[in-house]
Amino acid sequence: MKLDPRTKLFMIFVVSLVVMMSATTPFLWAIRLSITLIPIILLITEKKYASALRFLLAYGTALVLTFYFLSAESEGLIASLLIGYCGIVVQFMPALITAWYVVRTTKIGEFMSCMQKMHIPDGIAVSLAVVMRFFPTIKEEYSSINDAMRMRGVMLGGGNVLKMVEFRMIPLLFSCVNIGEELSAAAITRGLGGEAKRSSVVELKLGVADYLLMTFLTAATVIFVMFKYCL
Amino acid sequence: MSIVELEDVSFQYKGSKEGSLVNVNLNIEQGQTVLLCGASGSGKTSIIRLINGLIPHYYSGELEGEIRVADHDIKKTELHELAGTVGTVFQNPRSQFFSVDTDGEIVFGPENIGLEPKEIRARMNDVVAEMNLEEILGRSIFDLSGGQKQRIACASVAALMPNIILLDEPSSNLDFDSIELLRGIILEWKRQGKTIVISEHRLWYLKDAVDRVLYIENGRLAKEWNGEEFACLSEDEVKAYKLRPVVLEEELIKEIRGDCSSSVCETDPSIVLKDFYFSYKKRPYLILKKKFKESDGDLLNLNIPELKIPEGKVIGLVGPNGTGKSTFLRCLCGLEGDCKGKIISDGVTYKGGQRLKMCYMVMQDVNHQLFTDSVESEVMLSLKDKDTKRCDEILDSLGLLEYKDTHPMALSGGQKQRVAIASAIASDAKILLFDEPTSGLDYSHMEKVAELLKQLSLSGATVIVSTHDPELISECCDYVLGLKHGKVIYLKESARD
Repeated sequence: MKLDPRTKLFMIFVVSLVVMMSATTPFLWAIRLSITLIPIILLITEKKYASALRFLLAYGTALVLTFYFLSAESEGLIASLLIGYCGIVVQFMPALITAWYVVRTTKIGEFMSCMQKMHIPDGIAVSLAVVMRFFPTIKEEYSSINDAMRMRGVMLGGGNVLKMVEFRMIPLLFSCVNIGEELSAAAITRGLGGEAKRSSVVELKLGVADYLLMTFLTAATVIFVMFKYCL
Repeated sequence: MSIVELEDVSFQYKGSKEGSLVNVNLNIEQGQTVLLCGASGSGKTSIIRLINGLIPHYYSGELEGEIRVADHDIKKTELHELAGTVGTVFQNPRSQFFSVDTDGEIVFGPENIGLEPKEIRARMNDVVAEMNLEEILGRSIFDLSGGQKQRIACASVAALMPNIILLDEPSSNLDFDSIELLRGIILEWKRQGKTIVISEHRLWYLKDAVDRVLYIENGRLAKEWNGEEFACLSEDEVKAYKLRPVVLEEELIKEIRGDCSSSVCETDPSIVLKDFYFSYKKRPYLILKKKFKESDGDLLNLNIPELKIPEGKVIGLVGPNGTGKSTFLRCLCGLEGDCKGKIISDGVTYKGGQRLKMCYMVMQDVNHQLFTDSVESEVMLSLKDKDTKRCDEILDSLGLLEYKDTHPMALSGGQKQRVAIASAIASDAKILLFDEPTSGLDYSHMEKVAELLKQLSLSGATVIVSTHDPELISECCDYVLGLKHGKVIYLKESARD
């Protein structure tokens, strides 16, 4: 299923908004859960079964723990660790997984075109695009550095936590700075940052799926807010 | 009429002590193909950067003299104004892509200058047809081989239809066949009448494509040949200028392309590799991963049931890009945990994590494997008994003793590589692996690496070096190991003299 980047951005916004407001009644929980299910279903349609399953497991466990084993009166170290874990998973994971889905399925060209349609200034759009472009690069660099550390037997930094972080971060920062510098030189020689208004080959059009999803998301948010604050 | 004019240009990078260009005078006519050659750091790249305006607008420093490119005064022209006039293909395909997908990359330039979508699509179709890119359209940049990336880089430059095309060491990361494709692209541009300036260490693929060859030494134009004179340069002359060969021997080309007949020679003493199977395609599993076997056949990216490697020799690992050379090295030294291969040396079997201890790989990008804040501690990190005397010995043997307290990141590329080699020696590994150590190096640096590899093997280590570099093989490899589709095709003594 091909969604418009605008729908995706709206989805990130709605999911983060709803999961951050605390659900107090079973009905509110139902709305919240159905909104959380959307990115999972989308991941499945993109054939990312493993990530969908992993997320589902983590989220499900956190929910079960919250409802059946933890309460406001829970005490002790394990309980407080669990509350921390569940809180983070239940509150942040849905938004994270949505963002991850969006980054994975949106091409830079689509994203730029979307930004233009929304009349976001080129400067901001380009910076955001570079950030998107940099995620996979950082991942690639990081895994090479990790390999090098394994080979040299310094994965644990000789037992020194600071060294462990230092050994990873220093080479990573150096290579990211280098790549960033070369990248912007290459982009500028191809006319980035000129006065001409950027055009875009990608033509975006909202489809049926987009309208349906946006309507659903809007409705869910409105109902959620109404039942939480007005009734 | 001159399209590029440099008049008495001198340039010194901000923060550097010496000028990188000194009183350069250069006129390039419309339609000429010009090759810039010379040692690393001689100023080739600076000339390229002058023509595309990155000097002085991106890399700042002290600039004197006049630069005119296609009627633009470079000093007064904004970089983006040159976008449709001058196009540049950079050395490192990894860092010149703005998009993550190939299509987006090709249209990136035209979008920037605000062309109509219809026009952009037409240009894209032309470029794709011209360079035969259909098969790599719609792919993620991160899944492409070096050669494919470089072709996309050429396409994204061509889509802007610049009159002047600059290439800065474009072949550094390419295998033989990709270089042939690159050559085809350059010839096509030449046919279209574009002005082309190439800075390059590898010369053989350009010998019948260039009209002029400029030899640059310490920031000065020291010598100029025309295309015919250049193609006829004798081997000795080329060596005297410290350039890489202009003509390659047939036998070497065959070797480097992995084109020799299949045969595996027996050697003694040898290190035995057993059961090296590996695939990047993940198979679903619940609890235990299924081991890969020889019978998995085409699924495997590496398929080596048994191989005897000559001990204490330098072995060149060759084959086209994407054929499993790096995979082989990664599996051998134990970085790919899924590969359950065994190494048998002197009757001892090394499995799993033990392989990591007996092998050491010097990666292509050495920046990834330098962690500490001084050259000395970098070596000490690998030394098991922390013996400072031994550390000094190693540093001395590599000519690094004077840099003992320097931060590794403050060194030059060649010095960094030697620091990585120093820590490899310090780790006392029996098998030393090198992943394309000489890509992008000039002749004298390449010679130094070759000399080092020979020394390492003489001191008892077995050295396996993956390479696309025919010169490196002829300089230092005792044996050549040819891989194709993850299988060993041949292991034979090198044809070097």
